[in-house]
Amino acid sequence: MIVSPASAAPPPRRYRATTSISLLGALVVWVALLGPLIALLVHLTPGAVVSALRQPGAWQPLEVSVLASLVALGVILLIGTPLAYLLARDRLPHPRVWEVGVILPLLTPPLVLGLLLVFMVGQATPIGAALSHLNLTASDTFFALVIAEIYEAVPYYVLGAEAAFAAVDPQLEQAAALLGDGHWRTWRRITLPLAAPGLAMTLAVTWARAMGAFGAVLIIAYHPFGLPMQIWTTLQESGLSAALPFALVLLVVALPLPIGAYVWSARARRRL
Amino acid sequence: MLVADFEVRRRQFAVNVAIQLEPGERLAVLGRSGAGKTTFLEAVAGLVELDRGEIRLGSRLLSSAGGAHDLPVGRRGVGLLRQNPGLFPHLTVQENICYPGHSRPDVAVAMANRMGLAALLGARPQGLSGGEAQRVALCRSLQSGVGLLCLDEPFSSLDRELGRELLELVRAELEAGPTAALLVSHRLEEAQAFAGRVAILDRGALLQVGDARELVLRPLSATVAALVGYRGWLRRGDQLMAIHPDRVWASGGAEQDGALSGRVVGMRPDGVRIDAELEALGEWTGRFHCHLDDPPQMGQEIRFRVDAPPIFEGQEARLD
Repeated sequence: MIVSPASAAPPPRRYRATTSISLLGALVVWVALLGPLIALLVHLTPGAVVSALRQPGAWQPLEVSVLASLVALGVILLIGTPLAYLLARDRLPHPRVWEVGVILPLLTPPLVLGLLLVFMVGQATPIGAALSHLNLTASDTFFALVIAEIYEAVPYYVLGAEAAFAAVDPQLEQAAALLGDGHWRTWRRITLPLAAPGLAMTLAVTWARAMGAFGAVLIIAYHPFGLPMQIWTTLQESGLSAALPFALVLLVVALPLPIGAYVWSARARRRL
Repeated sequence: MLVADFEVRRRQFAVNVAIQLEPGERLAVLGRSGAGKTTFLEAVAGLVELDRGEIRLGSRLLSSAGGAHDLPVGRRGVGLLRQNPGLFPHLTVQENICYPGHSRPDVAVAMANRMGLAALLGARPQGLSGGEAQRVALCRSLQSGVGLLCLDEPFSSLDRELGRELLELVRAELEAGPTAALLVSHRLEEAQAFAGRVAILDRGALLQVGDARELVLRPLSATVAALVGYRGWLRRGDQLMAIHPDRVWASGGAEQDGALSGRVVGMRPDGVRIDAELEALGEWTGRFHCHLDDPPQMGQEIRFRVDAPPIFEGQEARLD
């Protein structure tokens, strides 16, 4: 049957929200989701922040948290990046088994994760005993804090990085190989730059998770005080208003990287 | 010189190829979709492991059965151009062209200018048309100093005119140098336009290799005949016959085809003198659809009909 262009049915119109409805919706989302942040800022006076931060030792939890998160992030990058790439390219036997292993820490409540970690790396365990030969103790130490942060944050990185690598067309890697690049050179010149926007976002989320790790930290790394523990103990000992300045500090330290990464990532994606 | 004699087993059949290619020679491999053409090229390019035999380029062993001694993809001196140009989206056209490690920027840019890419050197691949992208991909793959360029129907998604133009460009670039080229295609005219020698591949087997004109005039089997343009088939008992533009041809060649044990009449649509041939057919009857591509008018279909028992169930109308 011949259908003339004039009688052809017009393409179906897709529903699209008007500008005003869209803005209103965005406002509701912003107010609802940023409500806690707005409440924090409303309840804080600059004087309270300054006096809280001027107390002796007030900066130490921040230093501990930043340092532990940097170490945790380094370890996660080293282990998680190759794992995520191999998963994305289906180069591992039994990939589902690997994936379940990665997801399990994410599905386990952080407090339970902390308890399980005590049973795994506590001083009375074989791993704990082996660590003690290296002069390491995974209980109430900086090392324990790093372990707890890694467990809480690593699934976010591996799953996010896997998605970022999977989004890179394997035919581009093949094209680079055909043009003379070896595996590492292809990875460095093609895979990494193309996955970078997704990796940046993932890294930012992982950083925020590591900085804010609390449940597992509470169980195996109460000391040394990281920032989340500082907030918790101040809340317990001195009440809500005393804990708020530290909450602000945690947000100020934890958020710029994710926001910066988001902005860069969005721009980079537009270029690709 | 490329010497390839190998087998790659696939799920439905094995791709079994023995072929030689002199430096600078161009060979077109013609076959239907799923005939094993891409597997053939991927084996030569080193993307697929061989199950038997070996592939040599010059004095170097590129691949052998089992893959233990295979040269890595990037060190074989084999380029591959596919339908997807595979341009790197984070690099400009010039950066794409100069991508191969040992490319010389001045040579690369000179070639890009020859290919009409001068104005696009600073552009990103996303803004290019299909033809421009393939031009860039072609220019890039010729920078890496390849001894053999494999073309896996790179221009089949473009319109025919543009595809022909780009094939001419490939020919022009290859003509001067020692780079040999292998083109796989499902279009006879593309294969003929690109190479003097054409190989017919069907279900992984090379049915016939030879001069392009020879293949059309003397196909060795009905499958080859169908691939080089014969349309309309008749059978009577165990007799076989095919019609050429200038004469009626009876051959035993088609008897190699198990599916066609009887005698078959095939007809090439171009230039056949229909009245004369119909008279010549005598008691041979059947049903033909002739598509006169060129001449007289492009796109005009002329049909004529003769009653006959069809040999291909349900396919008596057309085979293409």
